[in-house]
Amino acid sequence: MTVESGPRNSDELARYGPNLPEAAIRVQAEAVAADLRAQRDQWRKGFTRRRVLAGAGAVGVASLANQVVTTRVAFGAPSTTNRTLVVVFLRGGMDGLSVVVPRGDRNYLNARGGIAVQPGALLAGDDRFGLHPGLAPLVPFWEKGMMAAVHAVASPDASRSHFQAQDCLERGAASTSVHTGFLDRVLEQLGPGTTFRAVAEGSALPRSLVGGQSKLVLQGIRDFDLRAGSGMREKTLTALKALYTGVGDHPLGGQAAETLKSISTARKIAQADYQGSAQWPGGGFSDQLKDVARLIKAKVGLRVAAVDIGGWDMHTNIGGPDGGDMRNRLNELAGALGAFATDLGSALDNTSIVTMSEFGRRVEANGNSGTDHGHGGLMLLLGGGLNGGKVHGRWPGLSAGALDQGDLAGANDYRDVMTELLGARMGVKDWKKIFPGYEAKKIGVFR
Amino acid sequence: MAQRQGASRHRAPDPLVPRVARLAKAGEPTLLKLVRNRRQVLIGAGAAVVATGAVGSAVAVLGGGGISAALGDSATSTRSPRDAGAFADRDASYTQSLGDSIDLGAAGLMDTAAAAAAAAAKKTPTNPNLLSRDPILHMLRRVTFGPTRVLVDAATKTGIDEWLEQQLNPGKVDDPVATKAMAAFPTASMSTAQIRRTVKDGDYQAQFELGQATIARQMWSSRQLFEVMVDFWSNHLNVTNPFDGGWDVRTSYDNDVIRKHALGKFSDMLKASARHPAMLRYLDNAASDRRSVNENYGRELLELHTVGIDGGYNEKDVRNSAYILTGRTVTDDGQFRYAADRHWVDPVKVLGFKDKNPSRSKGLDVGERYLKYLATHPSTAKNIARKLAVRFVCDAPPNGLVQRLADTYLENGTAIAPVLRVLFRSQEFWIASGMKTRRPLENFVAAARALGIAPGSDTRSGVEGLYFMTERFGNAPMAWVPPNGYPDVAAAWRSAHATLALWNAHRALIGGYERGLSYPKVEGLVGKRPGTTGPYVDSLADRLVFQKLNPGHRKALLTFLSAKDSTAVKNSSLGGKVEHLAPLLLDSIYHALR
Repeated sequence: MTVESGPRNSDELARYGPNLPEAAIRVQAEAVAADLRAQRDQWRKGFTRRRVLAGAGAVGVASLANQVVTTRVAFGAPSTTNRTLVVVFLRGGMDGLSVVVPRGDRNYLNARGGIAVQPGALLAGDDRFGLHPGLAPLVPFWEKGMMAAVHAVASPDASRSHFQAQDCLERGAASTSVHTGFLDRVLEQLGPGTTFRAVAEGSALPRSLVGGQSKLVLQGIRDFDLRAGSGMREKTLTALKALYTGVGDHPLGGQAAETLKSISTARKIAQADYQGSAQWPGGGFSDQLKDVARLIKAKVGLRVAAVDIGGWDMHTNIGGPDGGDMRNRLNELAGALGAFATDLGSALDNTSIVTMSEFGRRVEANGNSGTDHGHGGLMLLLGGGLNGGKVHGRWPGLSAGALDQGDLAGANDYRDVMTELLGARMGVKDWKKIFPGYEAKKIGVFR
Repeated sequence: MAQRQGASRHRAPDPLVPRVARLAKAGEPTLLKLVRNRRQVLIGAGAAVVATGAVGSAVAVLGGGGISAALGDSATSTRSPRDAGAFADRDASYTQSLGDSIDLGAAGLMDTAAAAAAAAAKKTPTNPNLLSRDPILHMLRRVTFGPTRVLVDAATKTGIDEWLEQQLNPGKVDDPVATKAMAAFPTASMSTAQIRRTVKDGDYQAQFELGQATIARQMWSSRQLFEVMVDFWSNHLNVTNPFDGGWDVRTSYDNDVIRKHALGKFSDMLKASARHPAMLRYLDNAASDRRSVNENYGRELLELHTVGIDGGYNEKDVRNSAYILTGRTVTDDGQFRYAADRHWVDPVKVLGFKDKNPSRSKGLDVGERYLKYLATHPSTAKNIARKLAVRFVCDAPPNGLVQRLADTYLENGTAIAPVLRVLFRSQEFWIASGMKTRRPLENFVAAARALGIAPGSDTRSGVEGLYFMTERFGNAPMAWVPPNGYPDVAAAWRSAHATLALWNAHRALIGGYERGLSYPKVEGLVGKRPGTTGPYVDSLADRLVFQKLNPGHRKALLTFLSAKDSTAVKNSSLGGKVEHLAPLLLDSIYHALR
């Protein structure tokens, strides 16, 4: 049996074993074996590395997407799609109720007292909700239909623990038998790509990207460089190229070539005069998004980017519309996202930015002008293909009976939103591979 | 170049690495300032993922949700082992297609290792490559973490058979350098109880020290084969270091399970792992209870530790495997405890193992019999035999060799040393020189060994720096996050990020960026100074990669130096250029392969 001629339906599958599960195991085992044989073949003599090298040699740096294949060594043409997913993780549990505010909701105003955002301060929004004034830089996008929100979103984790909730969200399943991150599985579904196809900005790999797919962790594009000593860099790169020429047809030759080209690409991106009308607010998050924007505009094949911004665990001093922790945080978040969207220009149509946070906050304010860990939270979406200018998802309300242990209920699952996004924008149809064991429900946030 | 001389020996290295190291050092709630929680530290450490190119899942090839769709309409729907484990990154070559019948150019068992080496030397490998086929060098590249000049001389003098036999009896090999260096990592030799008294609750200090001690031993221990096997088993029975539940118990796992049995019997190691708190916590068995059975360990025991994913078991076997293991749990102070009241009773059956399992009090014994059954199962024999062949011979080892090793394993009651003896007496081992690619950590440690980096004025701090460097290329010791251990085949490590990080690491080692260790002077590497540049390059190559370069590569280095073969050498540092030249040799394929 070869993989290509594998079973197409359960009748065919049944022929492979005494019962379906058994047959499935056998078919999978065979498929995995075939996959591995294919890989091994490439590491043997007679390896088809000529294909890789021929591909690599033929193209200029600008369209790196067409040459540097990182994950599986080399089958077929790279994906033709030029869409990028940017996942912004808001660490700490963002208080969605303060960001996209239920306009004039009695229960909200009563529960929040002095830290409630009053209706008069709200911007844009829709008939039920208004945006915190800290989101001002994003209002133009909201009004153009390039931005939307989903409220009362939760993951299957109900622990109210930062760690467990983040872990669950990023793995994409409550079951601990799912070990990879959901973005890793997205990459797997997207298929092979360039060295730059998955980039995490930061010092450590986010849990969502843990898994077998290759990815880069960058602390700025400048980080991706050979530190060869002043004046020796170019000579060293030339020598490295020569040292990996004439290595027979060893796969390491291709690997070195990939690396050298990636260094050169990163360098070009880093050195290019940065053009753009956007006003970047500065700061870590802004710098990271700027890197992502550069990669998108440089067309190096970026498909998935993960960026983090912390500081949302506001147990104290959440503040009001004009100041305090929330305003400051939102200034940084919305300022950078607004600059990012402006900077991308027409490329924003091919980009989907989504924010997620491990949980929302308790509806009732605590005694320290803050809120404690809660449940239902908020996702913000920015980019092309949206049913924009609206707050989506089921809204359970804030009446006492609707709350989940005092928290906004998780009426919507973040996996519903991601499934819709991945299907509508990234061409990932087989969402069961992304969120095993989950039946996604329609939200309607994408057109 | 001249400005480089002397003064800037400790110039600013990679900006990130020392920052992390310092934060950790400064006893900031370890890395808590930098990363958000302990799991994040683990993830950072496991950034292996960063480095690894994928072993792509073939499941996708089926398309259209073939299997899941088909299963969906089955009333008896159960998940397959691979689905449930969901490791798209599994280096399934560990467990799949046991034995590939490729012809390496020589095969067969000889009476001694030396005879096998001699026989193989007369034959032509089907996979020629640029590495020297010198048998001593080949042996040292495979059996150690990298040749050193001293070791080449010693092994040559001792002879292949005698040297290997010494390595197979590590207790008799003096180990002065590593023993002394271990003083820098005091918790690495502590018991769980001692660590609990020494380290703050939940702090990762002991786990980081263990990782650092591991690098120190790989660099400096004379018991190199032992260290190679420790690494092998640490991956086979992987308990990620560091991990959340490991702060107090992970060190004991290293000492009392892996190191204790690394050259002993696998059945003993398996049994020890199955009652070790680190394993029981890591794979959730500590939380498993007859009323709420956790399958995690029961499954991985079959899939990873013993018979392998194609060992013929099904989901019912997995369930039964988990039943058998219920009751094996961990006390509040990190000790193993068999809690009879948690044990599931009633008959159990896994593959050919059956037991009436009638009482709670005897559940532990049922488990011991089950583990013995698994350790001696022919599928386990083949699984381990193949992994050893992948480690020591090539990524797709010949079936004949795998079968020979598997037979030896079973004939010797799962004892490891006899299997290794047969491996070394196999021509397949000797013909395969250069067929393995060093994983990043191996490459890094081999570089440190070739250079001759030694313990120094602050060994702890120096090795700590090296440890955080290994995180950068995604291969910190034992830090692989999923339970299947680091991949051991080159295709899995294909990554521009890791390659670049390694090239930078070579420069850090030669530049001596991490203070506290004793670094050789780079201008002294070449030894007696040759008069002209060509011979200088040759000497440096011999010193760092233990062989001659091919003419094209030699020329590339002369071009790098803007010199000709006959250009006079005015000083040992080549006018400051040698510090840029030496890393190139470590970057080259002559160092990348083993």
